[in-house]
Amino acid sequence: MTTLLYTHPACLDHDTGFGHPECSARLTAILNMLRTSPFAALEWRDAPKAEIAQLTRIHPLAHVEQLLARIPRHGHYAIDGDTILSPQSGEAALRAAGAVCAAVDAVLKGEANNAFCAIRPPGHHAEPRQAMGFCLFGNVAIGAAHARAAHGLERVAIIDFDVHHGNGTQAAFEQDAGYLYISTHQAYIYPGTGRRDERGVGNIVNLPLLANSGSADLRHVWQQDIEPALREFQPQLILISAGFDAHYLDPLAELNFNEDDYRWLTEQILAVAADECEGRVVSLLEGGYNLPALAASVAAHVKALMEAPRIVQRSLVKRILERQKAKRNAASS
Amino acid sequence: MYEFLQYQVCDAMTADPIAISPASKLREVEELFENHDFNGVPVVDAQRRLLGVVTKFDLLKAFSFDAHALVPHYDEIMEQPAEAVMSRDPVSVAPQLPLSRLLQKMVEMRVKSLPVVENGRLVGIVAREDLLKALRRATIRHELPVHEEP
Repeated sequence: MTTLLYTHPACLDHDTGFGHPECSARLTAILNMLRTSPFAALEWRDAPKAEIAQLTRIHPLAHVEQLLARIPRHGHYAIDGDTILSPQSGEAALRAAGAVCAAVDAVLKGEANNAFCAIRPPGHHAEPRQAMGFCLFGNVAIGAAHARAAHGLERVAIIDFDVHHGNGTQAAFEQDAGYLYISTHQAYIYPGTGRRDERGVGNIVNLPLLANSGSADLRHVWQQDIEPALREFQPQLILISAGFDAHYLDPLAELNFNEDDYRWLTEQILAVAADECEGRVVSLLEGGYNLPALAASVAAHVKALMEAPRIVQRSLVKRILERQKAKRNAASS
Repeated sequence: MYEFLQYQVCDAMTADPIAISPASKLREVEELFENHDFNGVPVVDAQRRLLGVVTKFDLLKAFSFDAHALVPHYDEIMEQPAEAVMSRDPVSVAPQLPLSRLLQKMVEMRVKSLPVVENGRLVGIVAREDLLKALRRATIRHELPVHEEP
């Protein structure tokens, strides 16, 4: 059993224009890192294109068709000031969403412990009817909907630790208790959503953090909010919207996470996954705009995914010890 | 504007800035303010470790009414050492901090400049004017030409 890496060269060809922070160099930096020897055990797989039927579980068909029709033959087309289409953007967006569906298939069939999708464009800002914030299709939402529709799962959890709130993912699922969406993000920045009182049908857990929050704040919200919500929900699969722009060197926000925080958080998620859903985790790239920090953070995240069996084992031992302790206590009382 | 996101503090700061010792007289500080367009001047020890900052407000504060004298005595106050009026443990930034984050910090703190410290030593100073200059530099070239329709 291993960790799968889904990616595709088309994701490098989505061209956002000169100097745009969501650039193909992000993915190049990540892939170069994942080609080094510590990651030799990763099983690389080409991301397939998402089928239209997979996209339309989240986006109305008319919206999908309109978006794809706007792909320019030459140059660029701006959906908004920052969300740019180039000739190869359509295929990149289909491969990005397709990667998540394929990773969900592989993990639910037991072909791997878990998977990481090194993809762009990112997806968590894409609302069902509106591409925005560098995002074209809602990759994580499409993957989550695929897990339920194609594999019959009843409960899918999404943890989004990108520094920006995933308004698109929230919009897709806020009326459906079969999904749990948990987001940590910086308060009062783009896209302006993600207040704590946005709770959907009790299935949305927004944890806005003030500027300059760091490792201690992340650990606090994990213990107070994320882990209890996750365990209560009893997910059958956990998806991670893995944005790394909460890093202290990222230029687009002001949170202060570091590589070790991403390793720690990944291990916590894996430990819950081990207890609740046989360790089934699919993670996918969202933001992260300082290239060295992004590559190092992805490395820490993926290394933790690769070490999942050790984490599962540790979690099992912990559970056995707790059970033995409970038995001893019952016997002595 | 995208280029601005790639800048760090070290790209915009004044390196090896003029600094004073804690024993420097306020008269010397006043001369520095007179001769240069400084908002404040860092105070360092012999190893250039940052001890404090004297701003124009700190200098003015020395003349505010207090219990010591009915009227503040100019010559007497100007003989005081910088350490008597400096702001201690000042906020500083690292040279690798993204300039976009520095901008947020300066706006939130309403400061005019901040010392730049690396490995405990003062290596630069960065001011509002440096940020404005960096913003101009980053946006001289036209950004992405945008098609209205494909």
